[in-house]
Amino acid sequence: MLNQTQSIPLSAGQEFWRGVRQELPLMLGVVPFGMVFGVLGLASGLTALQTVLLSLIVFGGASQVVFVQLWATGVPPAVVGTSVSVVNLRHVLYSASIAQYFRTLPLVWRIPLAYLLTDEAYAVTITRLRNEEKSLYQHYHLLGTGITLWLCWQISTIIGVLFGATLPQSWPLDFVIPLTFIALVAPAIRQRADLVACISAAVISIVAQPLPWKSWIIVAAVGGIVAGYMTKFLTTNEVIK
Amino acid sequence: MIWNVMIFCGILTFATRFVMLSEVAPRELPRWMYDAMGFVPIAVLTAILVPNVLIMPEEGVTVSGNLRLPSAIVALSVAILTRSVMATIIIGIATLFCLDWFVF
Repeated sequence: MLNQTQSIPLSAGQEFWRGVRQELPLMLGVVPFGMVFGVLGLASGLTALQTVLLSLIVFGGASQVVFVQLWATGVPPAVVGTSVSVVNLRHVLYSASIAQYFRTLPLVWRIPLAYLLTDEAYAVTITRLRNEEKSLYQHYHLLGTGITLWLCWQISTIIGVLFGATLPQSWPLDFVIPLTFIALVAPAIRQRADLVACISAAVISIVAQPLPWKSWIIVAAVGGIVAGYMTKFLTTNEVIK
Repeated sequence: MIWNVMIFCGILTFATRFVMLSEVAPRELPRWMYDAMGFVPIAVLTAILVPNVLIMPEEGVTVSGNLRLPSAIVALSVAILTRSVMATIIIGIATLFCLDWFVF
């Protein structure tokens, strides 16, 4: 009995355009976020050029918002860099998870693919990699999702900058930063350990305020991660016993 | 100065995305690292957002008369109910505007 249907492998172009098409629906969330970032960059005291180039150089929504927030409040550069890195740690996981598919590609591919590796591009491409047949050109899929997101992010940042320049200075636009973070954190809390991580980070961020160099950010972040991990570790052990 | 920090942060961000695709990286990450990294976004974003809402410049931790606090609570409810970034931002900022208008 034949239980295998012979499927024709996709060409490079087909992989690329499927990536683009599958990524497009996610742009509903990305475009407004990019515009918010553009407005926020100006509201935090960056110039229009700095705001637009930050999207180009860093190309990561949450990291860019963390950057402008910390920069605007006079946090020392080393703490800004460390905080941005901590926010970015999740990319190591994405990078690890696509490594088995793309590690053998030449550097001219791995470098741009790494630059384009964002939450949304990863989410769409990993689904394709895991659930569909391997193909010689599957890296074109990530190129498609990545470039789609990249273009939308750059254009929406520019729109945000142009729009932000027309808003009155007196508006409390910097309040958009905590609001963005609330919108990102709330749906991410799915289990008890997540809640413990959140509450620990919140408490430490207030209690640790007197620490020098505004290092309370890092202390609170690490404290939250450790608290969440410990909770998960302890609760999983209970289940096993 | 800001340009240096921007480029530095850009390189760091690229490094986190590239590291596991490089030849030197280990094939597999240890299990605990996966578990711990799952808490990174929650911990970092909370650590930045809470003081931003609770602490007023010059005055320190402020609860009474701090209009950002009720606005943030409204936004949190919206975030839990709708899971929409846009709805959370719009309703949160609208609440702050309204409170500002009613109080003063």
